[in-house]
Amino acid sequence: MAEAIPETEENRSFETNPVVVVQGVGQMGRSFLAEVGGMFWFIVNTIAETTDNMRRGRAPFRASSFFRHSARAGVGSVPLVAMVSFFLGLTMALLTGYQLERFGTERLVPGLVAIAFTRELGPLLTGIMLAARIGASFTAELGTMQVSEEVEAIEAMGISPLRFLVAPRMLALVALMPCLSIISSLAAIFATSLISVAYFNIAFVYFNDLVLSSLLIRDIVTGIAKSFLFGLLIGAVACYRGLSVSGGAAGVGIATTSSVVTAITAVIAFDTVFNVVYVVFFP
Amino acid sequence: MNNSTPPHVVELRDVRLQFGEKKVLEGVSLAVEPQERLVVMGQSGSGKSTILRLVLGILQPTAGSIFFQQYEITRLKRRKLQQVRTQIGMVYQYSALLSSRSVRDNIALPLEELTTKTRAEIDRIVDEKLEMVGMLATKHQMPSELSGGMKKRISFARALVMDPELILFDEPSAGLDPVISSVIDELIISLSEQSKVTSIIVTHEMDSAFRVGTKMAMLYRGSIIEVGEPEKFKQSKNPVVAQFLSGSTEGPILEGTNDAIATK
Ligand SMILES: Nc1ncnc2c1ncn2[C@@H]1O[C@H](COP(=O)(O)OP(=O)(O)O)[C@@H](O)[C@H]1O
Ligand SMILES: [Mg+2]
Repeated sequence: MAEAIPETEENRSFETNPVVVVQGVGQMGRSFLAEVGGMFWFIVNTIAETTDNMRRGRAPFRASSFFRHSARAGVGSVPLVAMVSFFLGLTMALLTGYQLERFGTERLVPGLVAIAFTRELGPLLTGIMLAARIGASFTAELGTMQVSEEVEAIEAMGISPLRFLVAPRMLALVALMPCLSIISSLAAIFATSLISVAYFNIAFVYFNDLVLSSLLIRDIVTGIAKSFLFGLLIGAVACYRGLSVSGGAAGVGIATTSSVVTAITAVIAFDTVFNVVYVVFFP
Repeated sequence: MNNSTPPHVVELRDVRLQFGEKKVLEGVSLAVEPQERLVVMGQSGSGKSTILRLVLGILQPTAGSIFFQQYEITRLKRRKLQQVRTQIGMVYQYSALLSSRSVRDNIALPLEELTTKTRAEIDRIVDEKLEMVGMLATKHQMPSELSGGMKKRISFARALVMDPELILFDEPSAGLDPVISSVIDELIISLSEQSKVTSIIVTHEMDSAFRVGTKMAMLYRGSIIEVGEPEKFKQSKNPVVAQFLSGSTEGPILEGTNDAIATK
């Protein structure tokens, strides 16, 4: 069908043939699904190969390997996560405070910031920061190992790269995410307390009461559940992108960018899905 | 099932492989006998490394079968394949040492991950293998501090660490000066005789090929066009083999390729 149209100046420079456009969209949809499927099997295989070793009574990877990745990823991220959350907490408390003050309800500010951060912004912000900071570094590291044939050498020795390289990194992220998102929430709440004291005449003791009475256990549980999920997502995306690098140094660069973009998009998308499901099933 | 278990260490039967449209191997058959050192020669890009990857089960052929001892590599389950791989050592073209680990940790890796040996035993084996390749002094260095030849020797030690039945060498002398390249060749000969292993060596360097090989094979346009003892191989009537051995630009190899234009 596409051949039936004569090649003139217009349709050569810009593709307007509807069949071709639909084909293009279909192609994009297919490669998107293939990507999602690939990522899914990547997680499943990693878990399968890791538990396989455990069933045969061996530790799947060295504890030291897990701790090394956690220390590198986690401890170094604390200042960043705390600082960004602190400043965002300040801004949020100020902005909402000035609006609510007009109705004389500024004592809602502590609860508002506390809830927003524990169940939503804490995990989300932490996820975005870890995707950029740790996800990128995992992708670049694994990608470089991939192009220098180190990954293949590991495989050729009879060691599963999923178990040896991916599992400790993924677990480190899953374990770190909740800790860091708690730090994020605490930093934001601390910032709010400063604003409350300084601008809205809410004393520390009263502030504490306001936060504790507004926060529900389920807000905290939701936030932590999300954090685990985001950790798994970021870890899987970063390692998957790293191990599927091809094309030398340029390939590593492309994969690293793609890893950060994919991980951030995935985190935001899953956050939305999580919220919708949560609201529909547990109103 | 096929009951005629091949007595060969490695056997390829009519192996075909294509990447998308590009046909790399078009019916390769090869057999390697115990303690033989088979040299596979071929131009770069002819699929030599691909053959080694097929033997390790890292690539799957499009058609044909590959045996290592009694195992059919192409049909093994993941777990079994991983076990079989521990009996095969591989020395990569650019050594492929893990850059984040010291020499000692690189060599100890398979032992740490795949055996239940204690740290003391592992250290003993690592020292022994490093001694064999004459690199004990570098034990605590990082790969980035070593020269190409040293890395290659470390990676040789790493391939020996599980006491394999078969060692695969991907262009062992590539990128090394002639002297170091001879050192590596002598190491291949002495260690494979000492440890009674079989080896497949892939190369395009003639001197090195005839130094180490006990049997030669020539890979050209996707199939093995000549196999034989080194002496017989040198006298081959096949024009491709003759041109490859002499390194002449006159002959069938360049005909119809882009490289032919460059020689005019
Ligand atoms: N993963 C791959 N995808 C597509 N083509 C490949 C892949 N690996 C190798 N090839 C192609 O197969 C051919 C043989 O490659 P290789 O075995 O590395 O050659 P060499 O004989 O130089 O070792 C090359 O032309 C290469 O482009
Ligand atoms: Mg090669």
